[in-house]
Amino acid sequence: MTEYDFTLKFILPNPDMNPEQFVEALYEAGCDDAIIGTGKNGYLALNFIREATSAYEAVASAITDVKSVISEAKLLEAAPDFVGVTDVAALLGCSRQNIRKLMVKHNTSFPQPIHQGSIVIWHLANILPYFKTMGNYKVDNSLLELSKTNMQINLAREMRELGITSQHIENFVV
Amino acid sequence: MPHPNKEIAAVLKYAISQGWHIIEGGSHAWGKMICPYNDKACRCGEFCRMSIWSTPKNASNHAKMLRRVVDNCIIHKHKASRKE
Repeated sequence: MTEYDFTLKFILPNPDMNPEQFVEALYEAGCDDAIIGTGKNGYLALNFIREATSAYEAVASAITDVKSVISEAKLLEAAPDFVGVTDVAALLGCSRQNIRKLMVKHNTSFPQPIHQGSIVIWHLANILPYFKTMGNYKVDNSLLELSKTNMQINLAREMRELGITSQHIENFVV
Repeated sequence: MPHPNKEIAAVLKYAISQGWHIIEGGSHAWGKMICPYNDKACRCGEFCRMSIWSTPKNASNHAKMLRRVVDNCIIHKHKASRKE
């Protein structure tokens, strides 16, 4: 069993809904390995450290737990997936400057971001393998696995918003 | 009443020292903690208010996650860096 550390954000069926009413039921549904963020009406966020045999099992079972309490809650984001320079630096335990330097020095081999504007955003799953080959960064295998799972889940959700569905996608959006 | 678990009690003490409010009450939830800034523009958003379990599955992990929210608060970091 491996521990997976991830955050799920949901939008509640009603924007005025106080998420605090679900806290006790979420515990009973199996979210005793999460902290529940209830700071915004209409939203619910959970940070799990869940033991499972795979990242997919960890994230999918967590989504199922939440849906068993609030069936109409819609998943907004599974994190970590979308990351900026600050997030990458924090996850790898190095400085932002360090990441920036690598971006400039290896600008052709550095992983391509999904957005480059006033901020730069990557999928974590695209950036971690690069740092793994660099050798001197500690890249957790479980984090790499988790980032791939979250990317698939987030992509599946976006595809479904576009009305594109397939069995493969449905499997990912529990 | 301090939290029955030492590790969690220590994090709550730390959170109070950083200005967080702790409210006891609940059954599975021992209570909740509330961020002192209550800033609408805050990006942490949801975790400005979070539940503390009486008996989490793993107390060390629970303590670790709560502590991380306190330390990652952007307004808090900004204030701390101004003090230095």
